[in-house]
Amino acid sequence: MSSTIIIPLLAATVQSGTPVLYATLGEIFTEKSGVLNLGVEGIMIVGALSGFWVSQASGNPWLGFLAGGGCASLFSLLHAAVCLVFQGHQVVSGLALTILGTGLASFLGTPLIGQKAPGFSRIFIPLLQDIPLLGPILFRQDPLVYISYILPIAIWLFLYYTRWGLALRASGENPRAVDVAGISVQFYRALGIMIGGFLVGLGGSYLSLAYTHIWTNGITAGRGWIAVALVIFAFWKPGRAVLGAYLFGGVMAFQLRLQAMGTTIPSSLLLMLPYLLTIIVIALASKRSRGGEAPAWLGVNVEPEE
Amino acid sequence: MVPEQSSPPLIRLKGISKSFGQTQANADISLDIRAGRIKALLGENGAGKSTLMSILAGRFQPDRGDVQVRGRTTVFNSPKQAIEAGIGMVYQHFMLVEGMTVAENVVLGQEGRFWLKPKRIFQEVGRLAERYKLEVDPGARVSSLSMGEKQRVEILKLLFRESSILILDEPTTVLTPTEIEQLFQAMRHMSDSGKAIVFISHKLDEVMSVADEVAILRQGHIVDEMEISQVTSTRELALRMVGREIFLHPDKKPISTGRDVLRLQNVWHGPLQDISLRVKSGEINAVVGVAGNGQKPLVEIISGQTPPKQGLITILDKPWKDFYRSSKWLEDFCYIPEDRLGLATCPALDLGDNFLLTTREHFSRGPWLDKKKARAAASDLFKTFNVRFTSLKAKAGELSGGNLQKLVLARELYRRPKLILAEQPSQGLDIAATEEIWNYLLQARGKAGILLITSDLNEALSLADWITVIYRGRIMDTFPAADQEKVSSIGPLMAGLKD
Repeated sequence: MSSTIIIPLLAATVQSGTPVLYATLGEIFTEKSGVLNLGVEGIMIVGALSGFWVSQASGNPWLGFLAGGGCASLFSLLHAAVCLVFQGHQVVSGLALTILGTGLASFLGTPLIGQKAPGFSRIFIPLLQDIPLLGPILFRQDPLVYISYILPIAIWLFLYYTRWGLALRASGENPRAVDVAGISVQFYRALGIMIGGFLVGLGGSYLSLAYTHIWTNGITAGRGWIAVALVIFAFWKPGRAVLGAYLFGGVMAFQLRLQAMGTTIPSSLLLMLPYLLTIIVIALASKRSRGGEAPAWLGVNVEPEE
Repeated sequence: MVPEQSSPPLIRLKGISKSFGQTQANADISLDIRAGRIKALLGENGAGKSTLMSILAGRFQPDRGDVQVRGRTTVFNSPKQAIEAGIGMVYQHFMLVEGMTVAENVVLGQEGRFWLKPKRIFQEVGRLAERYKLEVDPGARVSSLSMGEKQRVEILKLLFRESSILILDEPTTVLTPTEIEQLFQAMRHMSDSGKAIVFISHKLDEVMSVADEVAILRQGHIVDEMEISQVTSTRELALRMVGREIFLHPDKKPISTGRDVLRLQNVWHGPLQDISLRVKSGEINAVVGVAGNGQKPLVEIISGQTPPKQGLITILDKPWKDFYRSSKWLEDFCYIPEDRLGLATCPALDLGDNFLLTTREHFSRGPWLDKKKARAAASDLFKTFNVRFTSLKAKAGELSGGNLQKLVLARELYRRPKLILAEQPSQGLDIAATEEIWNYLLQARGKAGILLITSDLNEALSLADWITVIYRGRIMDTFPAADQEKVSSIGPLMAGLKD
């Protein structure tokens, strides 16, 4: 029975977890530089829409995928402008970004509802796909999932083993030390926002180009918020983000199965399940950390040098 | 005057002037900084030392005057340019990333390849630390280091990028006597290997023991500059620094002591382990130790902010709970916190309101405050305590540190308390203000017992009748301040050494 029920369920888990993983990694990247960006939900849906658009217009899903990241990155520049240039409040700016992004996507996306765009399909990786259990779960997926396997490692290497990563982390831990060392805090925080936004946007375009190939209204359905919460669950570590994202993905895949099997439980209740469970797990797991792992200057603006 | 030397100076300041609004922070300052020499910059707070060094570090531009680096006139538009010119600064408040390792802090901002190689960096930092006798583990997290070790990391940062001029801003404030000696050794090592060192300080004995030459700054002017070997007495230096005769050894007449006003018996609380101490009316008991050895929790329980976990505290013959339960405790107890602007006053309120913060006894009628009466009383009181203010409408945040502290003292002593808890009362104040604060405390001792928490040994020895040394939450020893033999062992005790 394991091969007929469990394996497809776990494969679906990976697929459902991937967009959240992209978004969580993006937010970790941003928060490591000391900037709290609560606009993830908005940035993600902007990425989803622009990815869908470009893919449909160009016929090339790869172009769409990258455009999703790029447009999201440009959109998150608004956050950089408000927080870094005008010293605005990071929470307020982030919330505004979410409201603006979801509104924009629902307005511009209305004519697209129900339309299709060229997307990604599964590519089985030779040899690896034949590994018992792991093969069918991990290596019979679409290429964007494979990228998401490498991403946490790449981000971890960048943050902890490069000069740029060191300066970016230091901007979140003690910007004054960075300033004194002759490095521009604003530059690294802007970098954190832009690259973080790019990754969140990739997660968005995964939803419209790989998870489904069809545009629907409100396509992100709160996944951006889950990503914000998962950052805390992950203790700002890229590796733990994988765990959190697949936890969400697992419950999501499970309730979809239940719906497909035709249970008597109302579908709206089932849809609630992944969010509810994720939040409960995060609440329990976070008790242990008490925010000790958060970058010390997270959410605090730094005056640019005179 | 310093004799002309053949080698050109690394840095030559010529006629530097800088004003902020009405105040002239630096006036026509000329100074030479030479390789292989330790130059002390001596001056009180507000004498213009920090401004001058900020100009050197590229944070401020001078209004007039030149900075010459190796004979060439240079303009620093940003800290980065000063760093590139070889000028390195160790700030009074460390600029370290607590959550990162020593090695990571050292490489932060250094030129180099994109990829970091932790192993190689560890080796390089370790080698450097060994060469200059700045012992610290490159792999340790900064948050786990002592203040002395953190300072070594700051110095290593500068050595790693091969700064040729090292500026140390009041570096001994946070150190134990042993660590101070280690720092001085490292400074001599660095100057022997050709670095130019600028040692900013207001502590005369330290300047005498480590510097090669000294420049004295007063009210923005260089009033004197000389070789240390030409200085005949510290008294002479002090006189030039302050510009008048000062009296740093206040008149401490013994007075008859009364009953116990504070008693702690076997108190355990957080880092505090088995603390027992007593304060009698008419005496000052100084708890001496490097900051962060349990003083904070001690202050918190005695001042009633948190109840003690275990043990007995008796204040004015009442158990802790009963004392703080009665509404009269505010009349008998006063607390002078270290954090003058945060805990002692509201910076955004005016002076009159700040006076009323803790002292409302005679100025209220039912629910109403008699502001007129309070303002009159405050005005008189502040004048007797020599608080310099323009009007009672001025905000507390606008006062200088010394004036603010005098205001706090005036307000707290007005209630004629029987127990006074004073935490670092002269920290960051200039000599003149320190002298006044000390005298007020000694006067108050006539009618009260004082528990003085301080990391300034000089302060403890000048004021206290009893010395209590604290280290890692434990009381190392308690003895009369007159016991010369014990007093000489305070340094090792503060570092946890007990024979």
